[in-house]
Amino acid sequence: MRSIVYYVREFLRPEWLRKFFLVKTAPLETPSYFKDYPSLTGKECTACFSCMMICPAPNAIAVLRRQDRWEPEIYRGHCIRCGLCVEACPEDVLASGRILDTTHRDRTAFSSWYHLEVDDTLCMRCGNCCVSCPVNRQVDPQLAGTGTSASDEVVMRVEGGRVRILHEEKCTGCKTCEINCPNRAIRVARMVEGVQEEAEA
Amino acid sequence: MSILQDIKNAVRSRSIHVSYVDVGSCNGCDIEVLACLAPRYDIEQYGIYVHNNPREADVLLVIGSVTPQWVDKLRDIWEKIPEPKVAVAIGNCPISGCVYARKGTLTTPPVENYIPIAASVPGCPPRPTEILSAILSVAPLIFKDYEEKQR
Repeated sequence: MRSIVYYVREFLRPEWLRKFFLVKTAPLETPSYFKDYPSLTGKECTACFSCMMICPAPNAIAVLRRQDRWEPEIYRGHCIRCGLCVEACPEDVLASGRILDTTHRDRTAFSSWYHLEVDDTLCMRCGNCCVSCPVNRQVDPQLAGTGTSASDEVVMRVEGGRVRILHEEKCTGCKTCEINCPNRAIRVARMVEGVQEEAEA
Repeated sequence: MSILQDIKNAVRSRSIHVSYVDVGSCNGCDIEVLACLAPRYDIEQYGIYVHNNPREADVLLVIGSVTPQWVDKLRDIWEKIPEPKVAVAIGNCPISGCVYARKGTLTTPPVENYIPIAASVPGCPPRPTEILSAILSVAPLIFKDYEEKQR
């Protein structure tokens, strides 16, 4: 009997009733470190397109020409908020969460280069890639026809009936060779590597 | 009539029944919808209840870029929901296809081609709070004074 009275009194306390019927969790706030859609910091964009090239989602970011400047634009519904564009930008044009803080603290960055690869089973040694390459054209204006060249400074040339890549580091990634290859034998790949500067001892 | 409508408005604002359907995605957004049910976000304190039966639902959460097998079934599910009803697209996939919007993938986004979408929550995946606030802000637009709007 005493316990029933105890429970009735307990459950009729106004504080208990208010808590029971009106309880709510605290309103949910987005934390300051949330990696949201990248926003512009106002620094000047140099149109290097690092952000567009590293973006893993299709059509998520485009660097557009505004009135007098370049500006990256993020498309919602396409962007997956991975933050790679923020990390890849050398000018800190974009910001998101605390990505910029950590990259500055850890002195991390991305370095990229272009890797040329010729599939010898597909290549028919026409030399179109060597002739069409704009870097080759600048280095050796005589390079034409079969793709052979006397110069050692060209990106690639036909040597002994096959394409040999001499100076991969000169490639600008324009992919003119890929377009002009009839067999899709040559591929230009953009390689990206995360690098970290050594901390000052 | 208006008193009856007021009562309906009051009840409907605290009793939003949600059903979700995944029409072909990576399941990341499903997990975020289920995270809304957890005590951290606690979707039921806002009067939103999750069912797996479209006949009980008012709001349909569509997740995923549409695969060809889902096209007719998604329409069936939409027709099974009693009026008033609303569909909300959760995540990037129903909007654009996200990472599946490439050549050679068997998906046919966007989902607006198949059923009418009232709101979309972008993100890959969206935060549970974003899903919650989207449902809470779209529901009164559709359900408030529904009978009076019909006339």
